Amino acid sequence: MTQAEIKLCSLLLQEHFGEIVEKIGVHLIRTGSQPLRVIAHDTGTSLDQVKKALCVLIQHNLVSYQVHKRGVVEYEAQCSRVLRMLRYPRYIYTTKTLYSDTGELIVEELLLNGKLTMSAVVKKVADRLTETMEDGKTMDYAEVSNTFVRLADTHFVQRCPSVPTTENSDPGPPPPAPTLVINEKDMYLVPKLSLIGKGKRRRSSDEDAAGEPKAKRPKHTTDNKEPIPDDGIYWQANLDRFHQHFRDQAIVSAVANRMDQTSSEIVRTMLRMSEITTSSSAPFTQPLSSNEIFRSLPVGYNISKQVLDQYLTLLADDPLEFVGKSGDSGGGMYVINLHKALASLATATLESVVQERFGSRCARIFRLVLQKKHLEQKQVEDFAMIPAKEAKDMLYKMLSENFMSLQEIPKTPDHAPSRTFYLYTVNILSAARMLLHRCYKSIANLIERRQFETKENKRLLEKSQRVEAIIASMQATGAEEAQLQEIEEMITAPERQQLETLKRNVNKLDASEIQVDETIFLLESYIECTMKRQ
Amino acid sequence: MAEVKVKVQPPDADPVEIENRIIELCHQFPHGITDQVIQNEMPHIEAQQRAVAINRLLSMGQLDLLRSNTGLLYRIKDSQNAGKMKGSDNQEKLVYQIIEDAGNKGIWSRDIRYKSNLPLTEINKILKNLESKKLIKAVKSVAASKKKVYMLYNLQPDRSVTGGAWYSDQDFESEFVEVLNQQCFKFLQSKAETARESKQNPMIQRNSSFASSHEVWKYICELGISKVELSMEDIETILNTLIYDGKVEMTIIAAKEGTVGSVDGHMKLYRAVSPIIPPTGLVRAPCGLCPVFDDCHEGGEISPSNCIYMTEWLEF
Repeated sequence: MTQAEIKLCSLLLQEHFGEIVEKIGVHLIRTGSQPLRVIAHDTGTSLDQVKKALCVLIQHNLVSYQVHKRGVVEYEAQCSRVLRMLRYPRYIYTTKTLYSDTGELIVEELLLNGKLTMSAVVKKVADRLTETMEDGKTMDYAEVSNTFVRLADTHFVQRCPSVPTTENSDPGPPPPAPTLVINEKDMYLVPKLSLIGKGKRRRSSDEDAAGEPKAKRPKHTTDNKEPIPDDGIYWQANLDRFHQHFRDQAIVSAVANRMDQTSSEIVRTMLRMSEITTSSSAPFTQPLSSNEIFRSLPVGYNISKQVLDQYLTLLADDPLEFVGKSGDSGGGMYVINLHKALASLATATLESVVQERFGSRCARIFRLVLQKKHLEQKQVEDFAMIPAKEAKDMLYKMLSENFMSLQEIPKTPDHAPSRTFYLYTVNILSAARMLLHRCYKSIANLIERRQFETKENKRLLEKSQRVEAIIASMQATGAEEAQLQEIEEMITAPERQQLETLKRNVNKLDASEIQVDETIFLLESYIECTMKRQ
Repeated sequence: MAEVKVKVQPPDADPVEIENRIIELCHQFPHGITDQVIQNEMPHIEAQQRAVAINRLLSMGQLDLLRSNTGLLYRIKDSQNAGKMKGSDNQEKLVYQIIEDAGNKGIWSRDIRYKSNLPLTEINKILKNLESKKLIKAVKSVAASKKKVYMLYNLQPDRSVTGGAWYSDQDFESEFVEVLNQQCFKFLQSKAETARESKQNPMIQRNSSFASSHEVWKYICELGISKVELSMEDIETILNTLIYDGKVEMTIIAAKEGTVGSVDGHMKLYRAVSPIIPPTGLVRAPCGLCPVFDDCHEGGEISPSNCIYMTEWLEF
């Protein structure tokens, strides 16, 4: 793990879980898999705290454990999983667009809690939704369950591996750590639950303190009376499926930019049809016949079969090469070339970075060398129609920033520089890695700046919080307008202005983190699929 | 052509007379006469006298000595040229001849040295001499800016030396290239727009958004922004730069021989396109474009907390 990644992980863990979890987590990322006692010893924290921290990390799928021989259990942290925490807002937003508020809250609960049983999720989400609804209306459990079942059917949520049920229990002592298994078929199987109930509104703070403990106790006993029917079946969000969805979105928007709306709809249909059938790391989708595509087009699009065929031919002939024709049966079999699509998107990202950083003439040289693979300096000047001096300057700048590399071809065995050919070339994989590293460091910088801004204005924030609390309590006890006004004026106008600026800055930095994460997603997918291919 | 009267001359003839006779003979045969012909015309003159006369004519610059398959040829020189060369000596004549042979590509001074076997100092003196007499000129080569090639004064330098349509006086005309670039792109863009608006079936739409290189060439010629005549290859190099800008894509189709603009049975078609992704997320953050990115770390001189680029960006 590079320094930039470790720094980013530590910032994320600290922000979400606190100091102790951060210390343990970063230690595990740095040193690989370690047993419990070694962790406690190396980090200097008490065994109890280490256990609690590991509990939190395991619950959120950030740390996994393994039983080695001699009964030692070692814990290993997944750095890449920690970096996924940046993408949580994007996952939640995607579910919102697909399954509206209910789905959004389900996925949010699952991401915030790591693993949950279905009944717990349904109850929590129903309660939350009921609060936002108008007075008197409540959210039915059944509706939430339906959305949950739909999420499971489209593989957005999946079951966590669970303890295998042994037929005849071993007479010997139980193993130090259970090995969790999950059957492929059961991963998306929703247990038959009959969840009946309605969401409960949280009692308002009108109740006096004395009433609270009494209310608490009955709730507690009711829980004990009804055993949770799906105990032991925990669910988690299936991040790979979300990634597949993001990738499909990127491909569809690329096609829309290059061609037109109808072509992108056709590609979207094709991708949707192969969602479940194709694994996420396959180079091509399953071949789809043109008849099938015609049948599965969304209802609003009434284009004739002929026009559809024309569009498919155009897509297959396009220099982009996203769609390929693999056969002629069934009116023409078409596949989507996923690896090529990811490579084109990664290349476009690289070109966009070169263009913004160095200028459009540099971008011209960059694309030229990409297309022609290897070029001498003189040839670069001739093809790109840029004066020699400027072309030389730009080539050297890109070389020093590691976007390009030199290939030496000696004419004589002694490699004399005056008698060697020097060819400029672009290695996309290494340039992508370099850019990815830069992205990680950028996000770490943005998070640090956000924390700095918040710290700078800590005093002001605390003051405004106090004022708000006072106002709220006064409103509850029925104060007059004049008194409320007085309290509100405790925050002066410039301070209000400062608060506004602070809020705007923090929002901007947050949004920027999410934007950089989009770049990270494209580059990571490209690197992953290229490494798998090799 | 005056008929030469064969006069019987006394054996000891006047050398001048011999020379004049030879000159007249040369005028008769402008392509050159061999020694044999002179001998035939004046059989009574001894070989030595003939040789003396011929040598004198050569040194005076009135005769050219050429070698052919059959032997040596003597040719009358242009009187104009003869006047020019008066006063020059043999070496200069030799150098001049070498330069003349090089035609409009010109020849480098080192090559002159090899061909004439003269020492460098001599060559330089001769070249300066010839230049001052305005017989030759030096043209700077566009390939290697320090190299000078020499050619005859009144010749037009070849394209490879001056760089062709994109160079004027050894300077690369970047504004001219830029203007052409933008014009071609606008033409292709408007063609794609009209194709998109026509809303016919997609095949026709796509085909009509293509323009062949010949069409673009005609459009640019009609625009008249170029004072130099541009060929189709020139326009294709401009269109290639548009491809490297990512604004245009090209396909090659097989075309029947004889259709306008087809070269060797295929035609190149160009179409304006838009980029497939918007500017990526990294460049929207200040860190993506920061020039001191590598020096930035928490607690240092340059750190995220006191980054001036971020401050500016946040105030935006």
